[in-house]
Amino acid sequence: MNLMANILIQVIIAFLAGSLLLGLHRKIMARVQRRPGPPIIQHLLHSLKFFFKETGFPKTASKPFYIGITFILALIWIVGVIAGPVAHDSLLILFGVYAVYKIVEHNSGSSSGSPYGKLSCVRAVLSAATELPLFAAIIFVYLVTGTMNIGEIIAYQSVHGPLIFSIPLAALMFFMLIITKSPYSPFAITKDKVLISGFETEHYGLLRGFMHFSESIAWYVMLWVFLTIFFGPLTAVGYLVGMIVITFITGFINATTPIFSPNHSVMTQITVGAICFFGTILMIFTGVVA
Amino acid sequence: MNSQKIISIIVLVLSTIAILACLVINFDTWIVYAVAMFGIPAWILSLGLLTMAKPKPEDAEERIKEPFTGY
Repeated sequence: MNLMANILIQVIIAFLAGSLLLGLHRKIMARVQRRPGPPIIQHLLHSLKFFFKETGFPKTASKPFYIGITFILALIWIVGVIAGPVAHDSLLILFGVYAVYKIVEHNSGSSSGSPYGKLSCVRAVLSAATELPLFAAIIFVYLVTGTMNIGEIIAYQSVHGPLIFSIPLAALMFFMLIITKSPYSPFAITKDKVLISGFETEHYGLLRGFMHFSESIAWYVMLWVFLTIFFGPLTAVGYLVGMIVITFITGFINATTPIFSPNHSVMTQITVGAICFFGTILMIFTGVVA
Repeated sequence: MNSQKIISIIVLVLSTIAILACLVINFDTWIVYAVAMFGIPAWILSLGLLTMAKPKPEDAEERIKEPFTGY
């Protein structure tokens, strides 16, 4: 198949699947909290609806920056689609995507000039603690498989079995990242409701719809990467079931857990990350991991 | 026609041509990746800026003169 056609198809799949999974996530949260909740398709409808809404630009915003940051957000997640589902390339590229995502959160908050955005932008720096367990998880995957290449990691697992069984604590570290990035997460200090919508507060209308597009792709890519590097070669049905199960789990966690204060959020992430890090080292050196 | 509209039209046309060219011609991989990374977001954003709802003429002034509450 033509490469560009492949990329376009994967981006569309990522957007549609990500939107529906985020809608499902919201529905699960609502049902756990004994609310009817919106239909599963609501997130997708919101993205499309916002896209055609009237958009103004705040007087305090740095306009090129304010619009450009939404462009960068879409760009990095399209890089995520290319490095992941399309090319099965290096995990380091995906780590770079997460690192730049943190910069986007930071700059999106500061570009609007809103105090809510600015406070969210400061919290984005604090919440960089999320990326430490991710980096550690990637290192352990490298130590066990001897490669950073997603295609080779899949090949390794087809011979030796899924990595979730050999380095479960590294998988737990990655899962922490998924919980952190999920909507209404206890660790989502950049989108705490005391900050309205955090760094997205002043991005409304078209720009919010564009950000929804990117976030849907982000959710899909995140789940795809987790399933691929810890559950080995999967069929399309395997990915679908895996993504729905993870969305269910995060929905339950987020529905029943209040958001942490920033310091508690960071300390919890670092503590869980440290326990999993040393636990995995112990497993490797005691020969539990082959 | 304001500058935002002109820039959006130019970006939309260029990104459409670039994406279509990559669909028709088999360029080097890195060229296709570059076009996908910049072309797809540019296409969506420029299309959105052109198609988003505009305020009615009688409301346009109100949008600009909306009181700034200050932060």
